[in-house]
Amino acid sequence: MDYFFVRCNMIRISLFCILFAIVFVIGQEQDNLVNTNVERTLDLVSHLPKEIISVTIENRGTKGIRSYDYYVEPQHVNNVAWVGANVKGKDNDDQAGLPIKQEATDKTKGAVYRIELPNDLRAGQTITLEIEVVHAHALRMYPAEVTQTERQLVLYKTNAYYYSSYTTQTQKTVVTLPTDRAESYTQTPKPVAKNEQTITYGSYENIAPFTRNDISLHYENNNPFLTVSNLKRWIEISHWGNIAVEETVDIYHSGAKLKGPFSRLDYQRRQDSYSAVKTFKTSLPASARDIYYRDEIGNVSTSHVKEMQDQVEVEIRPRFPLYGGWKTHYILGYNVPSYQYLFNKGNQYVLKMRLIDHVYDDQLLEQVTIKIVLPEYTRNIEFYPPPYNVQRLPNEKHYTYLDTVGRPVIVITKRNMLFQHIQDFEIHYTFDKIMLFNEPMLIVIPLFGLFCLVIVLVRLNFSITHNESNEVRMRIQAIWDQIIEINLKRTNFYQKLDDALNTYKTNKDLKGYNEQRKKIETELKTLQQDLTNLQAKIKVDSVDSAEKIAELQRLDSQQREVQQLLSSLAEKLVGGKMQKQAYLDQEQTARNKLRDINKNISAIINQY
Amino acid sequence: MVRLNVDQMSRYVSPVNPAAFPTLSIVLLGIGIFLMAWFFVYEVTSTKYTRDWKKEILIALVASIFLGYGGLFLLLWVGIYI
Repeated sequence: MDYFFVRCNMIRISLFCILFAIVFVIGQEQDNLVNTNVERTLDLVSHLPKEIISVTIENRGTKGIRSYDYYVEPQHVNNVAWVGANVKGKDNDDQAGLPIKQEATDKTKGAVYRIELPNDLRAGQTITLEIEVVHAHALRMYPAEVTQTERQLVLYKTNAYYYSSYTTQTQKTVVTLPTDRAESYTQTPKPVAKNEQTITYGSYENIAPFTRNDISLHYENNNPFLTVSNLKRWIEISHWGNIAVEETVDIYHSGAKLKGPFSRLDYQRRQDSYSAVKTFKTSLPASARDIYYRDEIGNVSTSHVKEMQDQVEVEIRPRFPLYGGWKTHYILGYNVPSYQYLFNKGNQYVLKMRLIDHVYDDQLLEQVTIKIVLPEYTRNIEFYPPPYNVQRLPNEKHYTYLDTVGRPVIVITKRNMLFQHIQDFEIHYTFDKIMLFNEPMLIVIPLFGLFCLVIVLVRLNFSITHNESNEVRMRIQAIWDQIIEINLKRTNFYQKLDDALNTYKTNKDLKGYNEQRKKIETELKTLQQDLTNLQAKIKVDSVDSAEKIAELQRLDSQQREVQQLLSSLAEKLVGGKMQKQAYLDQEQTARNKLRDINKNISAIINQY
Repeated sequence: MVRLNVDQMSRYVSPVNPAAFPTLSIVLLGIGIFLMAWFFVYEVTSTKYTRDWKKEILIALVASIFLGYGGLFLLLWVGIYI
């Protein structure tokens, strides 16, 4: 039995040795790296401790190396909100950060961020990286509660050394405090020097990998401890040329809690509420219009908008100052013209804008939900996140004015977003321009339907009695309406005939005149026919009216005769068969006759 | 599908200049309301012997088109970006 156990143990040990050897071989390549010089600045001015580590790496192995591992101590693993890296010396403004991949977290060693170097670091070469690390929720308020006029004190624990998996030759840490008042700070390992706001730890020589030496700093910090617990960002695209942005913000003071009562009087009179946050500034895009700032009650009038060259600055002043643990809720919205962020090529569209925007300086947004509302009937939606991980939730539907099938909503969430996360995302989608006409049609068609309903309604008969005399009266009136219309046309035609006659008298074109006359006379004949038809119709209801129409017809034929007379007279005159004087006399008589006829016709027509 | 690059795309502007929204909505709604008034006056003054359904439909159609587009631009004018 004993023998068996020994065998088992032996196997186990050898297996372990093999595994260890494999791990060792893989790890060996990177073990040849050495941090020759590390300058670490720890900025504790805001509520987000920020480390900027400038590290010079040398490859002392024989093979080229592609990546550098940055380790976070186990105690800080959960509060790292941002790790970014750049090659120092290059212009950082237009250079995107180096790609960073977070590897599995080791419980004893901490979290690993693998930074990809821009090119192979060959044997003997050096490179200087600048690593930026921001911690959130890393400060401990000490004391945890203060009264209205007390100052806030903060305790921060960190490592005096640069925590690394590589040997570090020389290193120095410079801590910047918000004020020169430090209650206490660890004075070891020597040398430690304090000079007003800065405390310098180091320099230290040849520190082994994963060496930790905890130091704690207890100092005053009255800078705004603002934290957004929940940010909802709503981006609504309208293809009528607008992008509406609305941010719903739940913000709280994450500093030391307020102990005891709050006196508005003391707050107003004595300017000694150090930890309170009275106001903060939000910057919006330069093209932001129609800005509104409101909360549950309505518009918050204590806000100012300052338009600047490259941004619009909104000074937000909540209804009450924020003390430790106090919170407020507000909505900030604005419109941006679409050409700022929306691009197209045919029916392909790309929306490229910031996933989150600036809320306040040194912002910490604990939970962010971004909803992007695209127009109805968009297809082939593709979302491209900024170069950090975000969580995309299933699409939703949103219904607002003039929507039928609902607008697709893209939902993105992320925890712990900082200023560094203000980066662009892209959404690609297809939208047919013709669908723009969908919305006006949604107003036009119901309106037309309404009109049609009226058309039908007036045709329905709701009367309970049948009044024959009324019907007769209406019928006669309808016919007379038509007669009036015919008369109007008739007068018009005679006028035209007259005009043609006058033209003939001046240009003496008999052929043209005859053609025109024939045409007009045919039209007049049709009108005559219409009149006869109406007369037949009206005879059933009113003999009197029929007689009147007969009279009208008689007058009309008289008018035609006179017109013909005028015409033949003019022909004679033009042909030189008639003296001018005689023509003028006869024309005058004819015209007088015409006037009488017209008077009679008008007299009849005007009765109705 | 190849990912499109914004640098090769043009910026998207509204098919109608937003500065023209007020004018458009007032003019279109003005014409639309006039036609609607005409329609209703015609409906109440005509009798069943004088009514002409073709005329009614035509006025109604034109009026609804003008009112529809006028209403749309009114919405856009007041900031309801549909």
